[in-house]
Amino acid sequence: MAIYKRGYQRYDGPRASRAARLAVLVRDAWRRATAQRLVTVLLAASCLWPLLCAFFIYIANHAELWAGMDRSFASILSIDHQFMLTFMKVQAVFSVILAALAGPGLVSPDLANQGLPLYFSRPISRFDYVFARLASLAGLLSLVTWIPGLVLFLMQVSMAQPGWLAANWRLGLGLAAGFWLWIAMVGLVAVACSAYVRWRLIAGALVLGYFFVLSGIGAVINGIFRVEWGDLINPLRASYGVWCALLGAPMPSGLTLPMSLAALALMGALLALVVERRLRPVEVVS
Amino acid sequence: MSAPEIVFENVSKFYGDVLGVNRVDLRIPPGLTSIVGPNGAGKSTLMNLMCGLIYPDRGEIRVLGIPPRDTERLMRITGYATQFDAAPRWATGFDFVVSSLLLFGYSATLAERLAWAALERVGMTEAAHRKVSAYSKGMRQRVRLAQAIAHDPQVLVLDEPLNGLDPVVRAETIALFRQLAAEGRHVIVSSHVLHEVDSISDRVVLLANGSVIAEGDIRGVREEIREHPSQYVVRCADPPRLAALLFERAPVTEVRALEEDGALLVLTRDRRAFSRVLTALAAGGLAIESVVPADENVNAVYEYLIGGGA
Repeated sequence: MAIYKRGYQRYDGPRASRAARLAVLVRDAWRRATAQRLVTVLLAASCLWPLLCAFFIYIANHAELWAGMDRSFASILSIDHQFMLTFMKVQAVFSVILAALAGPGLVSPDLANQGLPLYFSRPISRFDYVFARLASLAGLLSLVTWIPGLVLFLMQVSMAQPGWLAANWRLGLGLAAGFWLWIAMVGLVAVACSAYVRWRLIAGALVLGYFFVLSGIGAVINGIFRVEWGDLINPLRASYGVWCALLGAPMPSGLTLPMSLAALALMGALLALVVERRLRPVEVVS
Repeated sequence: MSAPEIVFENVSKFYGDVLGVNRVDLRIPPGLTSIVGPNGAGKSTLMNLMCGLIYPDRGEIRVLGIPPRDTERLMRITGYATQFDAAPRWATGFDFVVSSLLLFGYSATLAERLAWAALERVGMTEAAHRKVSAYSKGMRQRVRLAQAIAHDPQVLVLDEPLNGLDPVVRAETIALFRQLAAEGRHVIVSSHVLHEVDSISDRVVLLANGSVIAEGDIRGVREEIREHPSQYVVRCADPPRLAALLFERAPVTEVRALEEDGALLVLTRDRRAFSRVLTALAAGGLAIESVVPADENVNAVYEYLIGGGA
């Protein structure tokens, strides 16, 4: 009779790659973010402006519809960097509100639940965790930023006169790059606020506060000291400076591209520091 | 072949000015080990250190030969259940365990099979598809245990795993720990409830103020504490006679009649001599019903070691 020693034997079969494991975290975060009804409502609402812009592009490319109008009207109906910048500014505001709604749900519950040790006792790092949260938020923000933006751009390309693309390719590229920069900033703000505060509602308010209070402070600095560099602490304004450079539009008064990039880099570094300090596997109450 | 022990060598961990653990030297062999100590003794710090959740400020740790900074390898051989109620409320117990397995890199099919097996082991199959938010405290405790054992780890680190369990489930869980330990794994549980670790552990590590104050099996630790006489409860038909004989022949320091009929509490500094005398008395015809050590438990040992600090 054979006697088999029964003891512990570790699984040594194939395992999924790191990217596949990261995808699990991203999917989980995506499900959590999109499970909120308000997020769906806001996503729907954020389609209104792109639809209006699409209508505008249609009108602009069908001269027969406004044939009787005067010349000044014709100049308004121009699809140029100003049109794209206006589109980007409006959608940027939507994206901030979306991040304030969806972002805090990504990290705060894990902090409130003391669930981080469970994640970090798996073969995933803090970087993986933050990256997954940012990636899911980036996916959500993409739906209201560069995706509708590129759709509009492609719509214009398809309707415009031959040669428009050759003269304006920079608009599409600049729009996508500018929005990705914005998504990175908004995502970092959302994750940092979510990591800083356990309560979702307060974390959401903090996200909104970050953008709107800083823009207010920037305006106050400009007003009191009669300067223009106050705009640099306004993340939307600093990003707008970069967008202008990317789209080939004139830079706003008082801003240069290096200054705007430096301001955004500094904000990003500070936010990353907050995330690094707050997202620890083990919370220590001293 | 990796070393089959968890080794701490002169390990210290501070959180700023706050002491976590200090100069810990420890070797934990396979089997069921309890880490015992009052709140703030450093139990969780020790567990977090061996799981690679935090790193020591000084000293070296090897978990079966793997340094904690090699998280990719370490996490695969360790299963960890935090003391906190950390299971996500929005997920079902099954989804929670499956997700944790997917993070280890198992395929979806295998993850589902392993999750089901783990939930079966902790007796949670019936409630597997209910949301964690609808679970009782004991069920949440069990589902946390399930996620810790689901990937079949060689080292199980369970922080206060018996909290919130009712007596029946507690007994089942302890039986599961024993089974896992009998399979050759390291099962390390922490507890601040001293009396419960007696019944479950092969060995204990007693912590106080961040330092290991004793380790080993309870009896061994007790024997090392020579300044406190050993205590026995002896039951016999004629207690006054037994008391007189013990005073006459054995190295006892105190014999006290207990309220219970026929029971004596005997204190001795020489356990072997006491045992010899008692055997001789029984052989001589004195009806001795039972001899039970009264202080070979963690509570007593702890009290002797740190003066009732527990």
